[in-house]
Amino acid sequence: MAPPLHPAHLIARVNRDVERSLLRARNGLRYVAGTHRPKLGATPKDVVWRRGRAQLWRYRRGPAVRYAPPVVIVHSLVSRSYILDLRPGSSMVEYLVNAGLDVFMLDWGVPDELDADNGLATYVDGYLPRALAAVRRETGCRDVTLAGYCLGGLMAALYAAGRDDAAVRNLVLMATPIDFDEMGSMVAALREGRLSAEDLIDTTGNVPAEALYSGFYMLAPTTEIAQKATLLENLWNDQFVEGFQAMAQWSRDHVPFPGAAFREVAELLVRENALMSGRIRVGDRVVDLGRVRGEVLVAMAERDNVVPSGATEPALAIVGDPARRHALRLPGGHVTFGTGRSAFKHTMPRMTEWITAHSDRLDTEQTPWRSDASSPPTARRSRASSTASRTPTARS
Amino acid sequence: MSVGRPLWLRAVLRLERAIGEPIEAATRSDAYFDVVAHATRAHARTIGAAEEISRRCLHLLNLPAGTDVRRVREQLARMERRMAALSDEIADLEHGRDAAAG
Repeated sequence: MAPPLHPAHLIARVNRDVERSLLRARNGLRYVAGTHRPKLGATPKDVVWRRGRAQLWRYRRGPAVRYAPPVVIVHSLVSRSYILDLRPGSSMVEYLVNAGLDVFMLDWGVPDELDADNGLATYVDGYLPRALAAVRRETGCRDVTLAGYCLGGLMAALYAAGRDDAAVRNLVLMATPIDFDEMGSMVAALREGRLSAEDLIDTTGNVPAEALYSGFYMLAPTTEIAQKATLLENLWNDQFVEGFQAMAQWSRDHVPFPGAAFREVAELLVRENALMSGRIRVGDRVVDLGRVRGEVLVAMAERDNVVPSGATEPALAIVGDPARRHALRLPGGHVTFGTGRSAFKHTMPRMTEWITAHSDRLDTEQTPWRSDASSPPTARRSRASSTASRTPTARS
Repeated sequence: MSVGRPLWLRAVLRLERAIGEPIEAATRSDAYFDVVAHATRAHARTIGAAEEISRRCLHLLNLPAGTDVRRVREQLARMERRMAALSDEIADLEHGRDAAAG
Protein backbone atom coordinates (compact mmCIF):
# COMPACT_ATOMS: atom_id res chain seq x y z
CA MET A 1 0.00 0.00 0.00
CA ALA A 2 1.33 3.41 -0.96
CA PRO A 3 2.31 5.70 1.96
CA PRO A 4 -0.08 8.63 2.61
CA LEU A 5 0.84 11.80 0.75
CA HIS A 6 2.02 14.81 2.69
CA PRO A 7 -0.31 17.81 2.03
CA ALA A 8 2.57 19.83 0.58
CA HIS A 9 3.36 17.02 -1.83
CA LEU A 10 -0.30 16.72 -2.73
CA ILE A 11 -0.48 20.43 -3.58
CA ALA A 12 2.71 20.22 -5.61
CA ARG A 13 1.30 17.27 -7.53
CA VAL A 14 -1.97 19.04 -8.22
CA ASN A 15 -0.04 22.09 -9.39
CA ARG A 16 2.07 19.95 -11.66
CA ASP A 17 -0.96 18.22 -13.15
CA VAL A 18 -2.76 21.51 -13.76
CA GLU A 19 0.34 22.96 -15.37
CA ARG A 20 0.75 19.88 -17.55
CA SER A 21 -2.92 20.00 -18.55
CA LEU A 22 -2.50 23.57 -19.75
CA LEU A 23 0.64 22.64 -21.66
CA ARG A 24 -1.16 19.63 -23.14
CA ALA A 25 -3.99 21.86 -24.34
CA ARG A 26 -1.56 24.37 -25.87
CA ASN A 27 0.62 21.74 -27.55
CA GLY A 28 -2.44 19.77 -28.66
CA LEU A 29 -3.82 22.82 -30.46
CA ARG A 30 -0.44 23.48 -32.05
CA TYR A 31 -0.16 19.85 -33.12
CA VAL A 32 -3.63 19.73 -34.67
CA ALA A 33 -3.17 23.12 -36.36
CA GLY A 34 0.21 22.01 -37.71
CA THR A 35 1.96 25.12 -36.46
CA HIS A 36 5.30 25.03 -34.63
CA ARG A 37 6.65 22.21 -36.74
CA PRO A 38 10.31 21.58 -35.94
CA LYS A 39 12.90 22.68 -38.44
CA LEU A 40 14.49 19.59 -39.92
CA GLY A 41 17.97 19.18 -41.37
CA ALA A 42 18.93 22.48 -39.76
CA THR A 43 22.71 22.14 -39.36
CA PRO A 44 24.15 24.93 -41.55
CA LYS A 45 25.64 23.66 -44.77
CA ASP A 46 26.88 24.68 -48.20
CA VAL A 47 26.19 22.87 -51.44
CA VAL A 48 29.64 22.10 -52.79
CA TRP A 49 28.73 19.88 -55.75
CA ARG A 50 25.59 18.93 -57.60
CA ARG A 51 24.63 16.77 -60.48
CA GLY A 52 21.12 15.95 -61.60
CA ARG A 53 19.11 15.63 -58.40
CA ALA A 54 22.16 14.73 -56.31
CA GLN A 55 23.82 17.29 -54.08
CA LEU A 56 26.88 17.17 -51.88
CA TRP A 57 26.60 19.26 -48.74
CA ARG A 58 29.39 20.38 -46.49
CA TYR A 59 28.35 21.18 -42.92
CA ARG A 60 29.68 24.43 -41.54
CA ARG A 61 28.97 24.53 -37.85
CA GLY A 62 31.38 23.33 -35.27
CA PRO A 63 34.14 24.72 -33.15
CA ALA A 64 36.94 23.61 -35.45
CA VAL A 65 38.00 20.71 -37.62
CA ARG A 66 40.29 18.59 -35.48
CA TYR A 67 40.41 15.39 -37.52
CA ALA A 68 41.13 14.28 -41.05
CA PRO A 69 40.10 12.74 -43.37
CA PRO A 70 36.64 14.23 -43.88
CA VAL A 71 33.57 12.09 -43.30
CA VAL A 72 31.31 11.66 -46.32
CA ILE A 73 27.89 10.26 -45.53
CA VAL A 74 26.16 8.47 -48.40
CA HIS A 75 22.45 8.35 -47.87
CA SER A 76 20.00 5.64 -48.85
CA LEU A 77 17.93 5.77 -52.04
CA VAL A 78 14.55 5.26 -50.36
CA SER A 79 14.36 7.82 -47.57
CA ARG A 80 15.18 11.45 -46.86
CA SER A 81 18.65 12.24 -45.62
CA TYR A 82 17.49 14.57 -42.86
CA ILE A 83 17.00 11.54 -40.61
CA LEU A 84 20.74 11.92 -39.93
CA ASP A 85 20.32 15.62 -39.20
CA LEU A 86 16.84 15.53 -37.73
CA ARG A 87 16.83 18.60 -35.50
CA PRO A 88 19.27 20.58 -33.39
CA GLY A 89 20.28 18.56 -30.37
CA SER A 90 19.15 15.33 -32.01
CA SER A 91 21.37 15.02 -35.03
CA MET A 92 24.09 12.57 -35.98
CA VAL A 93 25.59 15.16 -38.33
CA GLU A 94 25.68 17.79 -35.59
CA TYR A 95 27.30 15.29 -33.23
CA LEU A 96 30.04 14.47 -35.72
CA VAL A 97 30.64 18.15 -36.52
CA ASN A 98 30.86 19.02 -32.85
CA ALA A 99 33.36 16.21 -32.37
CA GLY A 100 35.69 18.05 -34.75
CA LEU A 101 35.03 16.12 -37.94
CA ASP A 102 34.63 17.72 -41.36
CA VAL A 103 31.29 16.28 -42.47
CA PHE A 104 29.80 16.01 -45.94
CA MET A 105 26.49 14.46 -46.97
CA LEU A 106 25.70 13.05 -50.39
CA ASP A 107 21.96 13.47 -50.81
CA TRP A 108 20.33 11.86 -53.86
CA GLY A 109 17.39 14.23 -53.99
CA VAL A 110 13.91 13.24 -55.12
CA PRO A 111 14.02 11.18 -58.32
CA ASP A 112 11.35 11.56 -60.98
CA GLU A 113 10.86 10.03 -64.41
CA LEU A 114 14.11 11.63 -65.59
CA ASP A 115 15.91 9.31 -63.16
CA ALA A 116 14.01 6.14 -64.00
CA ASP A 117 16.99 4.70 -65.91
CA ASN A 118 19.42 5.25 -63.04
CA GLY A 119 20.90 1.90 -62.12
CA LEU A 120 23.31 1.07 -59.32
CA ALA A 121 26.18 1.88 -61.69
CA THR A 122 24.80 5.40 -62.17
CA TYR A 123 25.32 6.04 -58.48
CA VAL A 124 28.42 3.95 -57.86
CA ASP A 125 30.37 4.87 -61.01
CA GLY A 126 28.70 8.12 -62.03
CA TYR A 127 27.85 10.20 -58.99
CA LEU A 128 30.05 8.89 -56.18
CA PRO A 129 33.49 9.32 -57.82
CA ARG A 130 32.65 12.86 -58.88
CA ALA A 131 31.22 13.79 -55.51
CA LEU A 132 34.35 12.44 -53.80
CA ALA A 133 36.55 14.33 -56.26
CA ALA A 134 34.68 17.45 -55.12
CA VAL A 135 35.43 16.54 -51.47
CA ARG A 136 39.11 16.22 -52.31
CA ARG A 137 39.06 19.59 -54.07
CA GLU A 138 37.29 21.22 -51.12
CA THR A 139 39.44 19.81 -48.35
CA GLY A 140 42.76 19.02 -49.92
CA CYS A 141 42.57 15.58 -48.29
CA ARG A 142 43.47 12.65 -50.48
CA ASP A 143 41.27 10.08 -48.76
CA VAL A 144 37.94 10.02 -46.94
CA THR A 145 35.94 8.20 -44.31
CA LEU A 146 32.96 6.96 -46.30
CA ALA A 147 29.86 6.26 -44.18
CA GLY A 148 26.81 4.76 -45.86
CA TYR A 149 23.38 4.42 -44.31
CA CYS A 150 21.15 1.52 -45.37
CA LEU A 151 21.39 1.14 -49.17
CA GLY A 152 23.83 4.06 -49.13
CA GLY A 153 26.23 1.73 -47.33
CA LEU A 154 25.92 -0.75 -50.13
CA MET A 155 26.76 1.91 -52.71
CA ALA A 156 29.68 3.11 -50.61
CA ALA A 157 30.99 -0.47 -50.32
CA LEU A 158 30.59 -1.08 -54.07
CA TYR A 159 32.46 2.14 -54.78
CA ALA A 160 35.25 1.36 -52.32
CA ALA A 161 35.64 -2.18 -53.63
CA GLY A 162 35.14 -1.50 -57.30
CA ARG A 163 37.72 1.14 -58.07
CA ASP A 164 41.48 1.02 -57.81
CA ASP A 165 41.54 4.78 -57.31
CA ALA A 166 39.00 4.75 -54.45
CA ALA A 167 40.83 6.54 -51.64
CA VAL A 168 38.64 5.29 -48.78
CA ARG A 169 40.55 5.10 -45.53
CA ASN A 170 37.55 4.02 -43.47
CA LEU A 171 34.28 2.52 -44.62
CA VAL A 172 31.37 2.70 -42.18
CA LEU A 173 28.34 0.58 -43.01
CA MET A 174 25.27 1.63 -41.02
CA ALA A 175 22.38 -0.86 -41.19
CA THR A 176 23.56 -1.96 -44.61
CA PRO A 177 21.81 -5.08 -45.92
CA ILE A 178 24.02 -7.84 -47.30
CA ASP A 179 22.00 -11.02 -46.80
CA PHE A 180 18.65 -10.30 -48.44
CA ASP A 181 17.30 -13.70 -47.34
CA GLU A 182 17.11 -12.16 -43.85
CA MET A 183 15.19 -9.08 -44.94
CA GLY A 184 11.68 -10.05 -43.96
CA SER A 185 8.42 -10.82 -45.67
CA MET A 186 8.20 -7.91 -48.11
CA VAL A 187 11.53 -8.87 -49.67
CA ALA A 188 10.59 -12.55 -49.49
CA ALA A 189 7.54 -11.82 -51.64
CA LEU A 190 9.83 -10.32 -54.27
CA ARG A 191 12.26 -13.22 -54.00
CA GLU A 192 9.58 -15.87 -54.39
CA GLY A 193 8.03 -14.07 -57.35
CA ARG A 194 4.66 -13.43 -55.69
CA LEU A 195 5.41 -9.76 -56.25
CA SER A 196 7.50 -8.60 -59.19
CA ALA A 197 9.50 -5.41 -59.60
CA GLU A 198 7.18 -4.43 -62.45
CA ASP A 199 4.17 -4.64 -60.13
CA LEU A 200 5.66 -1.89 -58.01
CA ILE A 201 7.05 0.39 -60.72
CA ASP A 202 4.52 2.96 -61.87
CA THR A 203 4.12 4.96 -65.08
CA THR A 204 6.97 7.29 -64.12
CA GLY A 205 9.30 4.30 -64.30
CA ASN A 206 10.02 4.46 -60.56
CA VAL A 207 8.64 2.79 -57.47
CA PRO A 208 6.43 5.54 -56.05
CA ALA A 209 7.13 6.91 -52.60
CA GLU A 210 3.64 5.87 -51.45
CA ALA A 211 4.38 2.22 -52.26
CA LEU A 212 7.52 2.37 -50.15
CA TYR A 213 5.66 4.09 -47.33
CA SER A 214 2.89 1.48 -47.44
CA GLY A 215 5.46 -1.30 -47.37
CA PHE A 216 7.13 0.06 -44.25
CA TYR A 217 3.83 1.03 -42.63
CA MET A 218 2.42 -2.47 -43.01
CA LEU A 219 5.36 -3.92 -41.08
CA ALA A 220 3.56 -2.66 -37.94
CA PRO A 221 0.26 -1.04 -38.92
CA THR A 222 -1.10 -0.59 -35.40
CA THR A 223 2.02 0.94 -33.90
CA GLU A 224 0.59 4.36 -34.65
CA ILE A 225 -2.04 3.78 -31.96
CA ALA A 226 0.64 3.23 -29.32
CA GLN A 227 2.63 6.19 -30.61
CA LYS A 228 -0.36 8.52 -30.49
CA ALA A 229 -1.27 7.35 -26.98
CA THR A 230 2.31 7.96 -25.84
CA LEU A 231 2.16 11.38 -27.47
CA LEU A 232 -1.03 12.19 -25.60
CA GLU A 233 0.61 11.27 -22.30
CA ASN A 234 3.66 13.40 -23.08
CA LEU A 235 1.89 16.25 -24.83
CA TRP A 236 2.93 18.63 -22.06
CA ASN A 237 6.60 18.05 -22.92
CA ASP A 238 7.70 20.42 -25.74
CA GLN A 239 10.82 18.41 -26.46
CA PHE A 240 8.87 15.17 -26.76
CA VAL A 241 6.28 16.74 -29.07
CA GLU A 242 8.97 18.24 -31.27
CA GLY A 243 10.79 14.91 -31.54
CA PHE A 244 7.54 13.11 -32.26
CA GLN A 245 6.61 15.54 -35.04
CA ALA A 246 10.07 15.30 -36.57
CA MET A 247 10.02 11.50 -36.62
CA ALA A 248 6.42 11.36 -37.85
CA GLN A 249 7.29 13.65 -40.73
CA TRP A 250 10.38 11.66 -41.69
CA SER A 251 8.64 8.30 -41.51
CA ARG A 252 6.02 9.52 -44.02
CA ASP A 253 8.52 11.29 -46.24
CA HIS A 254 9.89 8.68 -48.62
CA VAL A 255 11.24 9.29 -52.08
CA PRO A 256 10.58 7.29 -55.26
CA PHE A 257 13.04 4.47 -55.92
CA PRO A 258 14.54 4.78 -59.43
CA GLY A 259 13.11 1.94 -61.51
CA ALA A 260 16.33 0.63 -63.05
CA ALA A 261 18.06 0.48 -59.66
CA PHE A 262 15.01 -1.23 -58.17
CA ARG A 263 15.03 -3.89 -60.91
CA GLU A 264 18.70 -4.56 -60.15
CA VAL A 265 18.03 -4.77 -56.43
CA ALA A 266 15.13 -7.17 -57.03
CA GLU A 267 17.07 -9.38 -59.42
CA LEU A 268 20.64 -9.33 -58.14
CA LEU A 269 20.29 -8.65 -54.46
CA VAL A 270 16.93 -10.22 -53.65
CA ARG A 271 16.48 -13.14 -56.08
CA GLU A 272 20.12 -14.10 -56.50
CA ASN A 273 21.21 -12.81 -53.08
CA ALA A 274 24.43 -12.03 -54.93
CA LEU A 275 26.07 -10.06 -52.14
CA MET A 276 26.40 -13.22 -50.08
CA SER A 277 28.84 -14.54 -52.70
CA GLY A 278 30.89 -11.39 -52.13
CA ARG A 279 30.77 -10.55 -55.82
CA ILE A 280 28.18 -8.56 -57.70
CA ARG A 281 27.79 -7.17 -61.19
CA VAL A 282 27.75 -3.37 -61.35
CA GLY A 283 27.40 -1.97 -64.85
CA ASP A 284 29.76 -3.93 -67.09
CA ARG A 285 32.06 -5.33 -64.42
CA VAL A 286 32.03 -7.59 -61.39
CA VAL A 287 32.86 -6.02 -58.02
CA ASP A 288 34.47 -8.11 -55.31
CA LEU A 289 33.51 -6.69 -51.91
CA GLY A 290 36.61 -8.24 -50.34
CA ARG A 291 38.70 -5.69 -52.23
CA VAL A 292 37.83 -2.80 -49.91
CA ARG A 293 41.24 -1.70 -48.68
CA GLY A 294 40.49 0.51 -45.68
CA GLU A 295 39.18 -0.20 -42.20
CA VAL A 296 35.58 -1.39 -42.23
CA LEU A 297 33.08 -0.75 -39.45
CA VAL A 298 29.86 -2.74 -39.65
CA ALA A 299 27.28 -1.02 -37.45
CA MET A 300 24.08 -2.93 -36.83
CA ALA A 301 21.09 -2.24 -34.64
CA GLU A 302 19.83 -5.22 -32.69
CA ARG A 303 16.16 -4.19 -32.83
CA ASP A 304 16.17 -3.09 -36.47
CA ASN A 305 13.02 -4.43 -38.12
CA VAL A 306 13.76 -2.81 -41.50
CA VAL A 307 17.27 -4.19 -41.98
CA PRO A 308 17.59 -6.88 -39.30
CA SER A 309 21.06 -7.38 -37.87
CA GLY A 310 21.03 -10.85 -39.46
CA ALA A 311 21.00 -9.15 -42.86
CA THR A 312 23.86 -6.79 -41.93
CA GLU A 313 26.16 -9.13 -40.01
CA PRO A 314 27.48 -11.08 -43.05
CA ALA A 315 29.35 -7.90 -44.05
CA LEU A 316 31.79 -8.91 -41.32
CA ALA A 317 32.71 -11.97 -43.37
CA ILE A 318 32.52 -10.40 -46.81
CA VAL A 319 33.49 -6.72 -46.97
CA GLY A 320 37.15 -5.75 -46.88
CA ASP A 321 40.25 -7.31 -45.37
CA PRO A 322 39.37 -9.77 -42.55
CA ALA A 323 42.02 -8.17 -40.32
CA ARG A 324 40.47 -4.73 -40.73
CA ARG A 325 36.81 -5.50 -40.04
CA HIS A 326 35.14 -4.16 -36.92
CA ALA A 327 31.65 -4.72 -35.54
CA LEU A 328 29.49 -2.25 -33.69
CA ARG A 329 26.35 -3.77 -32.19
CA LEU A 330 23.84 -1.16 -31.12
CA PRO A 331 20.75 -1.63 -28.99
CA GLY A 332 18.35 0.57 -31.03
CA GLY A 333 16.28 0.18 -34.16
CA HIS A 334 16.78 1.29 -37.77
CA VAL A 335 16.62 4.99 -36.91
CA THR A 336 19.10 4.76 -34.04
CA PHE A 337 21.66 6.14 -36.46
CA GLY A 338 19.75 9.39 -36.56
CA THR A 339 17.69 10.00 -33.50
CA GLY A 340 16.35 8.72 -30.21
CA ARG A 341 17.63 8.17 -26.72
CA SER A 342 19.62 5.11 -27.76
CA ALA A 343 21.28 7.14 -30.54
CA PHE A 344 22.68 9.61 -28.02
CA LYS A 345 23.59 7.05 -25.44
CA HIS A 346 25.17 4.47 -27.72
CA THR A 347 25.21 5.06 -31.46
CA MET A 348 26.60 8.55 -31.80
CA PRO A 349 29.34 8.34 -29.15
CA ARG A 350 30.52 4.90 -30.23
CA MET A 351 30.52 5.63 -33.93
CA THR A 352 32.22 8.98 -33.43
CA GLU A 353 34.81 7.37 -31.17
CA TRP A 354 35.58 4.74 -33.81
CA ILE A 355 35.84 7.30 -36.61
CA THR A 356 38.09 9.67 -34.67
CA ALA A 357 40.26 6.77 -33.51
CA HIS A 358 40.76 5.83 -37.16
CA SER A 359 41.46 9.40 -38.26
CA ASP A 360 44.45 11.71 -37.99
CA ARG A 361 44.36 14.37 -35.32
CA LEU A 362 45.30 17.69 -36.86
CA ASP A 363 48.11 19.45 -35.01
CA THR A 364 46.60 22.81 -35.90
CA GLU A 365 42.88 23.15 -35.37
CA GLN A 366 41.20 24.37 -38.51
CA THR A 367 38.21 26.65 -38.47
CA PRO A 368 35.83 25.25 -41.05
CA TRP A 369 36.52 27.19 -44.18
CA ARG A 370 33.86 28.28 -46.56
CA SER A 371 33.31 26.24 -49.65
CA ASP A 372 34.23 29.17 -51.86
CA ALA A 373 37.67 29.56 -50.26
CA SER A 374 40.37 29.61 -52.88
CA SER A 375 42.44 26.91 -51.21
CA PRO A 376 41.94 24.81 -48.13
CA PRO A 377 44.32 25.23 -45.23
CA THR A 378 46.88 22.56 -44.66
CA ALA A 379 48.10 21.16 -41.40
CA ARG A 380 50.54 18.61 -40.17
CA ARG A 381 48.77 15.53 -39.02
CA SER A 382 49.34 12.92 -36.41
CA ARG A 383 47.53 9.64 -35.79
CA ALA A 384 44.57 10.23 -33.50
CA SER A 385 44.98 7.15 -31.45
CA SER A 386 47.70 4.60 -31.75
CA THR A 387 45.67 2.24 -29.59
CA ALA A 388 42.71 2.21 -31.94
CA SER A 389 41.01 -1.16 -31.89
CA ARG A 390 42.07 -3.37 -34.72
CA THR A 391 40.38 -6.41 -33.25
CA PRO A 392 38.52 -8.04 -36.07
CA THR A 393 34.80 -8.30 -35.45
CA ALA A 394 35.27 -7.13 -31.89
CA ARG A 395 32.23 -6.01 -29.98
CA SER A 396 33.04 -2.33 -29.69
CA MET B 1 9.44 0.06 -19.53
CA SER B 2 6.05 0.36 -17.91
CA VAL B 3 7.17 1.98 -14.61
CA GLY B 4 5.78 5.53 -14.34
CA ARG B 5 3.24 5.05 -17.10
CA PRO B 6 -0.36 5.73 -16.13
CA LEU B 7 -2.81 2.86 -16.08
CA TRP B 8 -4.74 4.05 -19.14
CA LEU B 9 -1.57 4.19 -21.24
CA ARG B 10 -0.51 0.73 -20.15
CA ALA B 11 -3.97 -0.55 -21.09
CA VAL B 12 -3.79 1.08 -24.53
CA LEU B 13 -0.32 -0.32 -25.18
CA ARG B 14 -1.43 -3.81 -24.17
CA LEU B 15 -4.52 -3.54 -26.33
CA GLU B 16 -2.44 -2.31 -29.27
CA ARG B 17 -0.16 -5.33 -28.97
CA ALA B 18 -3.14 -7.66 -28.62
CA ILE B 19 -4.59 -6.33 -31.88
CA GLY B 20 -1.28 -5.59 -33.57
CA GLU B 21 0.38 -8.97 -33.31
CA PRO B 22 -2.23 -10.92 -35.31
CA ILE B 23 -2.47 -8.09 -37.86
CA GLU B 24 1.31 -8.05 -38.28
CA ALA B 25 1.29 -11.83 -38.71
CA ALA B 26 -1.36 -11.41 -41.41
CA THR B 27 0.52 -8.63 -43.23
CA ARG B 28 3.61 -10.80 -43.35
CA SER B 29 1.82 -13.82 -44.74
CA ASP B 30 1.99 -15.18 -48.29
CA ALA B 31 -1.73 -14.57 -48.74
CA TYR B 32 -1.33 -10.87 -47.95
CA PHE B 33 1.36 -10.41 -50.59
CA ASP B 34 -0.74 -12.36 -53.12
CA VAL B 35 -3.60 -9.92 -52.45
CA VAL B 36 -1.23 -6.94 -52.72
CA ALA B 37 0.13 -8.24 -56.04
CA HIS B 38 -3.38 -8.78 -57.47
CA ALA B 39 -4.58 -5.41 -56.23
CA THR B 40 -1.52 -3.64 -57.66
CA ARG B 41 -1.95 -5.31 -61.04
CA ALA B 42 -5.68 -4.54 -61.10
CA HIS B 43 -4.95 -0.92 -60.22
CA ALA B 44 -2.36 -0.65 -62.99
CA ARG B 45 -4.78 -2.19 -65.52
CA THR B 46 -7.53 0.25 -64.50
CA ILE B 47 -5.21 3.25 -64.76
CA GLY B 48 -3.94 1.99 -68.12
CA ALA B 49 -7.48 1.60 -69.47
CA ALA B 50 -8.50 5.06 -68.23
CA GLU B 51 -5.39 6.60 -69.76
CA GLU B 52 -6.08 4.88 -73.07
CA ILE B 53 -9.62 6.27 -73.19
CA SER B 54 -8.52 9.81 -72.26
CA ARG B 55 -5.66 9.60 -74.77
CA ARG B 56 -8.05 8.71 -77.59
CA CYS B 57 -10.43 11.50 -76.62
CA LEU B 58 -7.65 14.08 -76.42
CA HIS B 59 -6.14 12.93 -79.72
CA LEU B 60 -9.55 13.32 -81.38
CA LEU B 61 -9.33 16.98 -80.37
CA ASN B 62 -5.71 17.09 -81.55
CA LEU B 63 -4.50 17.66 -77.99
CA PRO B 64 -1.55 15.92 -76.32
CA ALA B 65 -2.34 13.40 -73.62
CA GLY B 66 -0.46 12.74 -70.41
CA THR B 67 1.20 9.72 -72.00
CA ASP B 68 2.55 11.93 -74.80
CA VAL B 69 3.99 14.36 -72.29
CA ARG B 70 5.53 11.45 -70.39
CA ARG B 71 7.12 10.13 -73.57
CA VAL B 72 8.59 13.56 -74.36
CA ARG B 73 9.95 13.79 -70.81
CA GLU B 74 11.53 10.35 -71.16
CA GLN B 75 13.21 11.43 -74.41
CA LEU B 76 14.41 14.61 -72.75
CA ALA B 77 15.78 12.58 -69.87
CA ARG B 78 17.72 10.40 -72.31
CA MET B 79 19.15 13.50 -73.98
CA GLU B 80 20.01 15.02 -70.61
CA ARG B 81 21.82 11.85 -69.56
CA ARG B 82 23.67 11.70 -72.88
CA MET B 83 24.74 15.32 -72.51
CA ALA B 84 25.92 14.69 -68.94
CA ALA B 85 27.92 11.67 -70.14
CA LEU B 86 29.49 13.75 -72.92
CA SER B 87 30.40 16.57 -70.54
CA ASP B 88 31.97 13.99 -68.21
CA GLU B 89 33.99 12.57 -71.08
CA ILE B 90 35.18 16.06 -72.01
CA ALA B 91 36.04 16.83 -68.37
CA ASP B 92 37.96 13.54 -68.08
CA LEU B 93 39.84 14.26 -71.31
CA GLU B 94 40.72 17.77 -70.13
CA HIS B 95 41.81 16.40 -66.76
CA GLY B 96 44.03 13.83 -68.52
CA ARG B 97 45.49 16.52 -70.80
CA ASP B 98 46.20 18.82 -67.83
CA ALA B 99 47.81 15.97 -65.92
CA ALA B 100 50.01 15.12 -68.92
CA ALA B 101 50.98 18.78 -69.36
CA GLY B 102 51.60 19.41 -65.66
